[in-house]
Amino acid sequence: MISESLALGKRSLTKWTRNPFAVIVTSLQALFWLALFGNSFNPANAFPSTAAGSLGPLQQAFGGAATYITFLTPGVISIVALTGMSFMGVDLVFDRINGYLDVLRVFPIPRTSIYFGGVIQNVAKGMVAAPITFVIALLVPNGLKLAQGFGVLNLLGIFATIALLTIVFSTFFTGIAISVKSTDSFFAAVNFLTFPIMFTSTAFFPLSFFPGWLKPIAQVNPVSLASDGMRLLVVNGNLSAAQTSSFIGDLAGLLVFGAMLALLGTMMARNALKAR
Amino acid sequence: MSKIIDVKGLSKTFPPSARVVDGVSFAVEEGEIFSLLGPNGAGKTTTIRMLTTLTSITGGEASVGGRNVIKEPSAVRELIGVVPQEVTLDNELRGDENLLLAAKLHHVPPSLAHKRVEELLRLVELGESGNNRVSTYSGGMKRRLQLVAALIHSPRVLFLDEPTVGLDIQTRTRIWEYIKQLNREHGLAILMTTHYLEEADQLSDIVAIMDHGAIKVSGSPADLKENLHGDVLTLRVDDGGEDLTAFLKSVPDVTEVTRTEDSYRLKLPKVESALPAIITSIASRKLLITETSFSKPTLDQVFLEVTGRSMRDAQEGNGNGRTDRNAAAHKSETR
Repeated sequence: MISESLALGKRSLTKWTRNPFAVIVTSLQALFWLALFGNSFNPANAFPSTAAGSLGPLQQAFGGAATYITFLTPGVISIVALTGMSFMGVDLVFDRINGYLDVLRVFPIPRTSIYFGGVIQNVAKGMVAAPITFVIALLVPNGLKLAQGFGVLNLLGIFATIALLTIVFSTFFTGIAISVKSTDSFFAAVNFLTFPIMFTSTAFFPLSFFPGWLKPIAQVNPVSLASDGMRLLVVNGNLSAAQTSSFIGDLAGLLVFGAMLALLGTMMARNALKAR
Repeated sequence: MSKIIDVKGLSKTFPPSARVVDGVSFAVEEGEIFSLLGPNGAGKTTTIRMLTTLTSITGGEASVGGRNVIKEPSAVRELIGVVPQEVTLDNELRGDENLLLAAKLHHVPPSLAHKRVEELLRLVELGESGNNRVSTYSGGMKRRLQLVAALIHSPRVLFLDEPTVGLDIQTRTRIWEYIKQLNREHGLAILMTTHYLEEADQLSDIVAIMDHGAIKVSGSPADLKENLHGDVLTLRVDDGGEDLTAFLKSVPDVTEVTRTEDSYRLKLPKVESALPAIITSIASRKLLITETSFSKPTLDQVFLEVTGRSMRDAQEGNGNGRTDRNAAAHKSETR
């Protein structure tokens, strides 16, 4: 099944690389989040007397981040993964509409490889978008300030987090894409699901800002797990033992989500692709 | 020869009660071209979709290459190539990339795949265009590429669903040539659907006429037409005003005679075998035949005979090719 999934994933990636527009738009999305949202919603704006970009008295509440964009960047990387993964499954919806899915269904391959092919290409695209977001965050004025001690291990930790988060959302949204019958249904489902996931996460603001009833949801939201995990690496550089175990906890949470949603997606794909 | 496709009592009902295929039985021998001929909505595509494991079977049984379609769908998919009715290639990939992907998904070894892709592109005269994206191809080029994409793994059976629908006559004729060539040179068994009478007539060893989900009659095109006993011989005779109708009716094998203003129209089973006797009879009366012509029956006449309506009427009656129940079927199939 792996070689068939890789072949199908490669098909989509080949098309993606031939369409620079899609690559550029994905990258620009991060720029807009950081430069526009990061500046207009910057809590530091409430404290004009403090140094440029500094969070002033709110620094502690924001996990010790030197600037809001330093706090925001892991959140934006996670949000770009969420929105990117949610829409990239549309290829499968078009495959169903134009009959290509039926062509794939008569190949002697496990039908779930069609689903995993979609997951693989989405994860690959997400892994390309993440470093671009990271570089943009470094280039934005008063942007990402990496902590002293930030090194290769921190970078690898960030990539591991992104890989897991893209798997979480790709397995979920690819399952939806393979199950719906029209683009209308797909986009309605995506819009319905992404906004609640986004706004019940700690991507933009710390957990302490959330009302009590929302905190339990925000805590287990995969976007929060990824954002908080990456924040530990960006803000602290060298992690303490407690911070390391917190980071590992975030990764474990993402792993559990990824496994559960891959199982759910596989079941959805089996059901959607079986002969009726 | 042995049966490569064996279908017994095959049925398909789409919920709640649209019975689209109603207990069809037929067999396709190795190396044979077998056509399901009928108007749109007759149940042809649903039959092919069941045999290619795309649509579930409600009743009856079927085997392809000795493998049970219901119990061994994966094994069946190893043996077959399928060309669907719509062009379903990846337009953003190049022609050769489409074929290489098909090769990969059919588990053709990479070393063999490239050679096979080159051969097949040459076969359908796309050798020069293989490196171009499919989005730049004409409709006919796409159809040719789609045909060979189904052959990349050298299948034992090829399923063609309306292989030339919507194509101009020149492209259609070329596709027919490729189909004949594949059948002749590789002994490939082909099951195709068509609503083109000429296509079924030209290509098929066996034609099964399908209407309202059932096979009404099947046989070789020649036998089907011959069984109508419907050759028509037209004679112009210098009869000096004498009516020869009764006389011509008395000639053996002649079943019907109609006199027109200046000629006689005779219906008979097989004009070739009856003609000498007719000429001899007329000559024995010292009459001169000044002109003869004859026509063979068409598959449309066969269709008319077994369904009570012509193919054209059937198409129009189905309104854009779909009866209500088949509209339901189509909806279910595309889910």
